[in-house]
Amino acid sequence: MTSPSTQFVTSRRMNIYEPFHQINTWVEGYHDDECPDVSPLKVIELEEKLFNQSEDALHGALTTSNKYDQEACKPIDKVQRRLAQNRKLHAKAVCEKRPTQQDLYVGGVIDHLPFAGTINSGIAEFEMEYGHWVEEQNRQICELRTALHAHITDKDLQNLVDNSMSHYFDLFRMKATAAKADVFYLTSGMWKTSAERFFLWIGGFRPSELLKVLVPQLDPLTDQQVTQVCNLQQSCQQAEDALSQGMDRLQETLAETVAAGRLGEGNYVPQMTNAVEKLDALVSFVNQADHLRKETLQQMHRILTKHQAARGLLALGEYFQRLRALSSFWASRPHEPA
Amino acid sequence: MQETLAYRPCAGSTTSTSARPKGGQPDPKSACNGDGDFDDRSVQKMVSENAAIVFGRRGCCMCHVVRKLLLGLGVNPTMFEVDDEGNQEALLLHQLTQIGGAPAGEEKLQLPVVFIGGRLFGGVDRVIATHISGELVPILRQAGALWL
Repeated sequence: MTSPSTQFVTSRRMNIYEPFHQINTWVEGYHDDECPDVSPLKVIELEEKLFNQSEDALHGALTTSNKYDQEACKPIDKVQRRLAQNRKLHAKAVCEKRPTQQDLYVGGVIDHLPFAGTINSGIAEFEMEYGHWVEEQNRQICELRTALHAHITDKDLQNLVDNSMSHYFDLFRMKATAAKADVFYLTSGMWKTSAERFFLWIGGFRPSELLKVLVPQLDPLTDQQVTQVCNLQQSCQQAEDALSQGMDRLQETLAETVAAGRLGEGNYVPQMTNAVEKLDALVSFVNQADHLRKETLQQMHRILTKHQAARGLLALGEYFQRLRALSSFWASRPHEPA
Repeated sequence: MQETLAYRPCAGSTTSTSARPKGGQPDPKSACNGDGDFDDRSVQKMVSENAAIVFGRRGCCMCHVVRKLLLGLGVNPTMFEVDDEGNQEALLLHQLTQIGGAPAGEEKLQLPVVFIGGRLFGGVDRVIATHISGELVPILRQAGALWL
């Protein structure tokens, strides 16, 4: 099949699962040395080379205009940026390939592809915006890292923290729009890398897991902060449990609706109509899950000092970067010969 | 019938309009299900006589979320559910808006709607936000909604 859907899905899989070739190509841009061959050990050696690369070369390569010293930024961020750029360009190419008008919903389930999906302009737009979002995220992480090593004013640090927080809120807004376009796209985590998808919970990260990752990075905390963080962990878990139970109920209801009547007759239009109505609820769940993520971030922000918040946001950002990097490493590991 | 709506004991039943048992002990103040017979007075009565009450659509999963969350906090909220057929939902929302006033932020009320201590509290958004910020439990305690 050569429909746009097929092309998109197939090449998107390639995008996700063959990033090493991309890393290869981009690295050539900075490095005149030999091209590493395809093996995970070489990838690690490559990374080390990049890490030890002279700061001048790195400095020259960076084009961001922020006022802080970029030298502390690791080259892996550049790789991440390129990955994101590639994603963005790809989504743009998909958009341009589509033969019909912007508003047409190009649906089509392709049974033989494991990642069968439908595409519409709302989702293509989200993919593009998400590419920008990741780039900006990587830039902000760099900025936070430099700022925490330098002596910057409280006010500047506050600005960095506020920007970082609003950046997450921007993503939640983007997701709310995308949920209306195709909620299944979000609940399947299609825009995320494979390792991130492993941790997916109602279209995003699980806030309680996040707290578990972050809290040890925030030492030292005052006694009062420890209590507040404990309370937050507990309320977060309770809210998550309630939402999960609601989702279970939604699954049951949907299954009942789809299976209503006699199975086997071959006529199921009324069941489809009812089921589609039920799926509106899934949009509310994604919205509420994002709402919980947002509230959890905001509560952490209230509990922590500016400095702790900056450290927390840096830790959070790098955690996601590591997950994305894990996806790349995983994809480029050696395969068993057939 | 409307007078005793709030006091109808929970009873197990297989019909869609009958009450399903909710919560633990039978509670004289629990109105297990609306069966279409509700008016301003009965809704107002339910609001004033229950420390915590959740109004929702039957089968609504978000309603289930709110209930589970409150149960987990040691609250046994009264549940009042309407069928999603006809204009029951619109009618109920109209009554709740009249009783509770417009919610903060000038947005229209949407089911599920929670009333605590006889006052309009809000929807699932507000329940989650106040739970995370730590404000929800003190409000529930003050309204006498906590069993523990």
